[in-house]
Amino acid sequence: MVSRCSSISKLLEKYFDREATGEEKSLVERHLSDCPSCQKTLLAMEGVSDVLKTTVDKALNEETFPWVWEKIERGIRLERGISWWESFLSWLRLSPLSQKKIWVPLVAVTMLFLFIMPILFKKTPSLPASIVVEYVESQTSNVMVYELEKAKVTVIWLFEDPETKSST
Amino acid sequence: MALRRPGNEILHLIRGRTSIPILILTLILCTPLICPAQVQVRLRVIQASNVGANVDPSLRDLHKELGSLFNFTSYRLVRDQMLSLSPNQPAALPVHEGRSSIEITQVGSQRNIVELKVRIKRDGTDILNTQVRLSPGRTVLIGGPKHGEGVVILGLSVNF
Repeated sequence: MVSRCSSISKLLEKYFDREATGEEKSLVERHLSDCPSCQKTLLAMEGVSDVLKTTVDKALNEETFPWVWEKIERGIRLERGISWWESFLSWLRLSPLSQKKIWVPLVAVTMLFLFIMPILFKKTPSLPASIVVEYVESQTSNVMVYELEKAKVTVIWLFEDPETKSST
Repeated sequence: MALRRPGNEILHLIRGRTSIPILILTLILCTPLICPAQVQVRLRVIQASNVGANVDPSLRDLHKELGSLFNFTSYRLVRDQMLSLSPNQPAALPVHEGRSSIEITQVGSQRNIVELKVRIKRDGTDILNTQVRLSPGRTVLIGGPKHGEGVVILGLSVNF
């Protein structure tokens, strides 16, 4: 019986997969009718198959593939020759801009940009470019400012009192 | 085992790729605030006197101007220093082996003009306070403080 079972086991897999020929099928069915061991094996195979099938079916039922479908629709529309507006809407649906999460950093960056712009392009109190010395003061001496415009040299000269110590 | 939607995975990837340029843009915009521009200020300390008739060879770019502006026969370069100035960070250094010091602060910059606040002190007292606007190629000479037989002239110019 054991040797018979081992020779049937290969045919049993074919039988289970519905790949057995008519002769093989009848041979397996005859054996199964009086072999509880092979009956158990067949039941186990059916059990595993059921578990796998249920899991895969469940996953496929839950999956809606929206993004894939959008791409397919877009491909169909492109083949049809759609308007730019439809194309734009289609792109918008596919783009990350359609996701709520992207708007948070986008708005934050925009706000930051609006905050920074006035600082970056702040108009500092500007004087004409020709003015070099904005102010000059000395509590101890007279000061003279002299400019050589051609040579681009400006001189600020401090006239120290004669009694000022000469050692610096 | 939960299966992830392929569409969501791709959108997640796109979001990941989008966030990088946004981050870079933010950093670029914030860079001027985080790292304000430094300017290179050249400070030359010149001792001018009527002792001798030598002009330091390293002052040849100013030789003509010095000769036409002042009535000294000798010009000696005592110090030639490049200062990296950050906005509102004063740089102080002694003028010439003595009790005088100069403090330079970058108080503003726009395009190719830098505004510098210059204070010259002697014995802790301000002897000169000024604010000048420098552009590349322009030199400001601050002179007059006596030193020995002559005077000290400070030359300020700027590089970007």
